Amino acid sequence: MNDHRSVGIVMIEDDEGHARLIEKNIRRAGILNDIRHFTDGTTALEYLFHAPDGPAKSGPALVLLDLNLPDMSGTDILARIKDENSPLRRAPVVVLTTTDDKVEIQRCYDLGCNVYITKPVNYENFAQAIRQLGLFLSVIQVPEVEG
Amino acid sequence: MQGSPTLAPAENPIGRILVAAMAIGFLALLVAAGAAGYVVRQTNRHSDWVIHTYRVEGVLIEVRRLAEQQETARRGYMLAGTPAFLNSFERAHAELAPQVDELRRLTADNPRQRAPMAMVEQRLADLDAAQRQTNALVQQGRGADALRQFRADSGLLRMQKLRHVFDAMAREERRLLALRDAEQVASRQTFSTVMAIAALLFLAVVAVSFLTIRRYTRDLHRSRSALAVLNATLEDQVKERTADLALANEEIQRFAYIVSHDLRSPLVNVMGFTAELSAATQPLAELIDRAESEAPQIVTEEARLAAREDLPEAIGFIRTSTAKMDRLINAILKLSREGRRVLAPEMIALDQLVEQITDAIRHVIDDRGVTVTIERPMPVVVSDRIALEQILSNLIENATKYRHPSRPAEVHVSAQETPGRVIVAVRDNGRGIDPRDHQRIFDLFRRSGQQDQPGEGIGLAHVRALAYRLGGTISVESQLGQGATFFLSLPPALSIAPPLQESA
Repeated sequence: MNDHRSVGIVMIEDDEGHARLIEKNIRRAGILNDIRHFTDGTTALEYLFHAPDGPAKSGPALVLLDLNLPDMSGTDILARIKDENSPLRRAPVVVLTTTDDKVEIQRCYDLGCNVYITKPVNYENFAQAIRQLGLFLSVIQVPEVEG
Repeated sequence: MQGSPTLAPAENPIGRILVAAMAIGFLALLVAAGAAGYVVRQTNRHSDWVIHTYRVEGVLIEVRRLAEQQETARRGYMLAGTPAFLNSFERAHAELAPQVDELRRLTADNPRQRAPMAMVEQRLADLDAAQRQTNALVQQGRGADALRQFRADSGLLRMQKLRHVFDAMAREERRLLALRDAEQVASRQTFSTVMAIAALLFLAVVAVSFLTIRRYTRDLHRSRSALAVLNATLEDQVKERTADLALANEEIQRFAYIVSHDLRSPLVNVMGFTAELSAATQPLAELIDRAESEAPQIVTEEARLAAREDLPEAIGFIRTSTAKMDRLINAILKLSREGRRVLAPEMIALDQLVEQITDAIRHVIDDRGVTVTIERPMPVVVSDRIALEQILSNLIENATKYRHPSRPAEVHVSAQETPGRVIVAVRDNGRGIDPRDHQRIFDLFRRSGQQDQPGEGIGLAHVRALAYRLGGTISVESQLGQGATFFLSLPPALSIAPPLQESA
């Protein structure tokens, strides 16, 4: 990523275990960026849009988003981020979820998600997928957030 | 169900009432006809009697007239002595004899007339004898003798007595006529009464029949309109029920899908952290190794066992269990996905399909040394190709799998069309299935017999779910050790209701 330190990774994932495994495997791919983890949609949105150190106020970010959250659907968060008037509309969003339903995938891309990844059930595949995502994250460009 | 008038119980009493009414009506008619016949006969007999009476009277008058004429002729002959009177006498006599015979014949049936009749004959004979005496005297020219005899004989009295007898006979006939008149009147009255009763009965029967028929017609009409309403709403009801069923089915599918998805999520953790643990044992084991060689005194037996045996063993069990759980969850997911797949019916020639399937698993069949025979011809069905292929592929693969150790394996596939169904039979000569397990083998994760073949107990559950989706059924006939035959019964043409909503 542009500047390995400046682009923050916001991970919204209700399963602590998954979150930990994702983080571990991303780190193993050599990504050193700051990773902020949220287990519910409300606090995640609060951080994304209103926190002083959040992406909307300070600097570029990349969002890792799970669709099954306890308080709201991940697609709602996706819609908020990609809304026309959202300061974060250009921020890359990677949907990382267990659902491989066609309709759901279509909907996410329609809403503007940048990458959709289904979590493989098999852990080896899962770990590999996350590591590949990490490698991918290390090369993509993340746009600046509009003021 | 809506309250519909039940036809069957109401029908019988009405039928019985109608039959009874008709029987009564018929009986009344019969009685009336009988009475009419009787009265007609009675009237005929009566008129016969009337005619008879008049004839008797007529003959009586004739006899009387002739007797009088004969007497008059005799008297004239006595007075005038001319042969014309004698002729007249003879003529009257000649005419009288048949009339008397006639009278006797006519009155023969009545015992009360017999005595007067005999008297009439007696008197006529006496009179005749007396008359002939005077006539003979006149003929001989002894007119005065004849006159004298006439006076002595009192011809007048004789005539009068004869007249009395005639009158008595006429009265008797009149009496009989009066009796018969009375009889006639009585029978007419009886007839009128019988007719009146019959008419009343008939009217009653008509009324009852009319009411019954009207009630029946009304019932019929009512039930027909109820039926019409039912008919009209039947489509809707069926649609409603189908929609309910489809919804319930969808609900179950969704449930299975969500459950299996949500089960996967923690499983990823278990597997993930097991992998982490496994990875972590590696440096630990190395550490123990190094410690053992460099400072053996710090390595306890427990630590060594934990690092070299307990940990890898525990991790191994966790891994195989989670792997199995993963397969089971995947199976459920597959079933639920299969249930959500939109079916696409098309024309399928079963023999071609079976051949494709056997070709596809040819290497398995050959490896196991199985002979597969396909009995032709096979019917053509309209169904979903993928689902049917999965069903038959599973059945044929199973048939080749559970072989009997003591005989070469043979699999026979046949199909036949019965009215409304197509039945595909997959028969093997394998080790068979205990009849107690015939239901169980179609349940998810359940298997039967010796567990010496790989498998999770998914295939037949999948087969049954697919068969149901195709509107079919699956059943098995088998005895332990004697092979098994699986029967797939399908509708000849699969019709699918349009999906209620897209799967979400």
